[in-house]
Amino acid sequence: MTDVIEVKVPDIGDFTDVEVIEVHVKAGDEVAAEDSLITLETEKAAMDVPVPSAGRVEEIFISVGDKVSEGTVIIKLTAADSTVGLDSAAPAEVNTSSQTEVDPKQVAIPPNSYTGKADNETSLLILGAGPGGYTAAFRAADLGMDVTLVERWPSLGGVCLNVGCIPSKALLHAAKVIEEAHEMSEFGVKFAAPEINTIKLRDWKQSVVDRLTGGLAGLAKQRKVKVVQGTGTFLSPQHVRVEGDTGSQVIAFQQCIIAAGSEPAMIPGLPDDPRIIDSSGALELEDMPKRMLVIGGGIIGLEMATVYDALGVQVSVVELTKTLVPGCDPDLLRPLEKRIKGRYEAIYKGVGVTGVAAEKAGLLVSFEGNGAPEPQLYDKVLVAVGRSANGGKIGAELAGVKVSERGIIDVDKQQRTNVPHIFAIGDIVGQPMLAHKATHEGKVAAEVAAGEKSYFDARVIPGVAYTDPEIAWVGVTETEAKAQGLDYGKGAFPWAASGRALSVARDEGVTKIIFDNKTNKIIGCGIVGPNAGELIAEACLAIEMGCDATDIGLTIHPHPTLSETVGMAAEAFEGTLTDLYIPKRKK
Amino acid sequence: MTTRQEVLVPDIGDFDAVEIVEVMVAVGDNVAAEDSLITLETDKAAMDVPAPIAGKVLEMSVSLGDKVSEGSLILVLEAAEVVEAAPAEISATATPAVATGADPVASPVAESSSQSGPDTKSVRTTTPTALPPINEAGFAIAHASPSIRKFARELGVDLSRVQGSGPKQRIVPEDIKAFVKAIMTGQLAAASGPALPEVPVVDFAKFGAVEEKPLGRIQKISGPRLHASWVNLPHVTQNDEADITDMEAQRQALKARAAEKGVKLTPLAFAIRACVQALEEFPVFNTSMGPDNKTLIWKQYTHIGFAADTPNGLVVPVIRDADKKDVFELAAALADLSGRAREGKLKVEEMQGGTFTVSSLGGIGGTAFTPIINAPEVAILGMPRSKMQPVWNGEEFVPRLIQPLCLSYDHRVIDGATGVRFTTYLAARLGDAEGLIGRRRDD
Repeated sequence: MTDVIEVKVPDIGDFTDVEVIEVHVKAGDEVAAEDSLITLETEKAAMDVPVPSAGRVEEIFISVGDKVSEGTVIIKLTAADSTVGLDSAAPAEVNTSSQTEVDPKQVAIPPNSYTGKADNETSLLILGAGPGGYTAAFRAADLGMDVTLVERWPSLGGVCLNVGCIPSKALLHAAKVIEEAHEMSEFGVKFAAPEINTIKLRDWKQSVVDRLTGGLAGLAKQRKVKVVQGTGTFLSPQHVRVEGDTGSQVIAFQQCIIAAGSEPAMIPGLPDDPRIIDSSGALELEDMPKRMLVIGGGIIGLEMATVYDALGVQVSVVELTKTLVPGCDPDLLRPLEKRIKGRYEAIYKGVGVTGVAAEKAGLLVSFEGNGAPEPQLYDKVLVAVGRSANGGKIGAELAGVKVSERGIIDVDKQQRTNVPHIFAIGDIVGQPMLAHKATHEGKVAAEVAAGEKSYFDARVIPGVAYTDPEIAWVGVTETEAKAQGLDYGKGAFPWAASGRALSVARDEGVTKIIFDNKTNKIIGCGIVGPNAGELIAEACLAIEMGCDATDIGLTIHPHPTLSETVGMAAEAFEGTLTDLYIPKRKK
Repeated sequence: MTTRQEVLVPDIGDFDAVEIVEVMVAVGDNVAAEDSLITLETDKAAMDVPAPIAGKVLEMSVSLGDKVSEGSLILVLEAAEVVEAAPAEISATATPAVATGADPVASPVAESSSQSGPDTKSVRTTTPTALPPINEAGFAIAHASPSIRKFARELGVDLSRVQGSGPKQRIVPEDIKAFVKAIMTGQLAAASGPALPEVPVVDFAKFGAVEEKPLGRIQKISGPRLHASWVNLPHVTQNDEADITDMEAQRQALKARAAEKGVKLTPLAFAIRACVQALEEFPVFNTSMGPDNKTLIWKQYTHIGFAADTPNGLVVPVIRDADKKDVFELAAALADLSGRAREGKLKVEEMQGGTFTVSSLGGIGGTAFTPIINAPEVAILGMPRSKMQPVWNGEEFVPRLIQPLCLSYDHRVIDGATGVRFTTYLAARLGDAEGLIGRRRDD
């Protein structure tokens, strides 16, 4: 009877990556207990590593010049089985004693080793086909890699395409048409009240989604990206098991990009009731409530409130913090708040929800905080309190990938996790959880996996709230500039002086640019008003290119457009603006 | 009649693939018996291999830097006279020629234990210079567009070091190319940060015969550390004097008692006792700077390192918990550690964990010197030779034994006033002979 044991580097003090300067054995050698296997050299001394028990060297994993640390496997040893007088119990004893001796305390997360067979192999596996995942897959395929894309949903595109950005924008478009038609009555064009067929509206929204996801499937096919449908979880640092409707398979990969995204966060303790929905449910337009509460005054909550308000629902919004869209400058929020205050049933700020009771007549919601109302009965409650990363749901620990308590995976500037051949991108690596951040990261990860020296070097990531009016910002906000004590200046242009804004009957907008006073370079921009999301792109480019106020101001913007407001905000900072009278800044 | 005689590497203990650090003979040289032929260096010692017989060198089979083992052919000699018994005796005569008394213990060393053929030159020691890390904070604000940043990443260029030549100092592709070219042609240092001015390279052979030998192992290791300490820590050296006349009398008086315990009571043991007392009074000397240089780590233990001169170079063994030892125990620890240091038998952990270091050169001489701090410690005490000097006691000059003290400290951690307070206190402790013996504080 023989036992094969692994002999590892024992506790060698505070040293790691110690050089092997001599190897005393080779495969096939017979060794006696305490024979030297290798000699290590640290800065201070050389030390021999003895073999814990007698036996034959089966396999040697180390050669001269290798760097080893505590726990590195040195050899595989077959314990000697026929020492004089040894009964059959002895080998087992050898085994245990050597294991306790050579099995030193392991590193924090010992990755699992999977020894079963793999059904498929791929050089790059991408877990999740959202905007980050499919972008990474396509980029890697274009760079010549063999790519497998694993997606748990039947269609590609992830949250963004299926239950996020795209369907919500379709509905917001409908909301906008309704609003604008209504507003035109003041200016002499009166439409009849709209008849809203939610089934048709939902079908149209779905057709937009299907067109895009279908397009993605085509793009994947053209690039020969293998798409595997099912839920993927890690088995080891080299294997993922995919459980799909049609069965389960194990895929072995050389490199992996984790793009498994996030899910709507839920408030614990809410009753299980179909009338309590998250953003995905809200986009389904199942049935129109009369009275709806949106819990969470962030971007997602306010966008959905915009849709439901336009569709004739009595909307209330409750936000735990003192401001809506936390992090946004107050002067940019003001036009939005002014508009929705007159339209929504109620906006509670600094108010928390203490309980939701499911009653037959509706959901009875109780509140607390300054200005909290009496318990109110709603037909629907939309929970939009943020998103939580899916890092805890993919068996990452079996791959040795570190995941934080909040499900977030830390990465370096090349999107590498703590396991060098496994990358992570998108929502799962943390805030901001935005599709355009994920796609950029996806490209970086794919390029690095393909051997290119790419880094996430983007300086800014813009954010947009598709509310009415829209709010968009990029780079340093004024609030941050103040908090960080930056030496900044700002140029603001109120849309009341923009001919284009007035001619679309929306004069409440503001374009504001933040500049570094020392260099006059643009470091941030915030815009509120219709189409702010489109307008912010110019500021993004200006920041990436390192433009200063003069560069922006001297760029001829087409007239009459809302984009003029960007150039004029720069001129306002420079003091060269003629469309407004601004008293000279004291220099 | 002449005889060809092969000279092989003799039994050199447990070593294998030992480097030849010196070759003293060339083809055609006449050598006398016992003349040194080559010098080998292990981590423990250098050893000469002598000629077994007199003769003329016919062929050389090794050259400088080659790795040899027992039995490797060194050269072929033409024996000056016929010595029949020679071959058998070679290794026997050669064996005692090991240069130092160092005990060649288990740990063999060799930079690479590859083949030891005659042509293996030790050129593998030069590793490609790793690129210095990019200053990410500087990279993130450099006036460079996304495409320039991508280009810089491909080449590993730190944009914070590139001067832009475009409008408003914008970095353009040509700037990156020029930067890389400057590094490749040696006009720019690859390392970031202000490069140290280079010491000029001199061709010494122009001025006379020279010989080049690689540094010893310990020097190779300690050199960069000493340099790092010297350039990273702002050193201040505070000189002071202590009257150790009474201490010395006490030491003489206790010698017999120490001898009973089998201990040789050295002045260094007293000095370490005094240092422990001074560290208790001024614990800031027992600290280290945190890794980000923003915190100070106060150690709740006192492990005193002492510089020990060994045949192979300087090592610093550490006496654990020196504050819990009396002067006899300190003396015993000193003797044990320095003895094993000389034999190269110190364990790794016996050279780790020091919180303060004493470097005593008193056995040799000197009046003052600047010891280099054993970073990340923050102070080191240098002790040159003590000297009998006339001291004015208010009425007359009296002969007193004066010990110079040279305390180097890290000025980021310790200010000048504290430095001199420390040496003043230390001098007072050294003057208090009774207090120096020390009882273990736990009894």
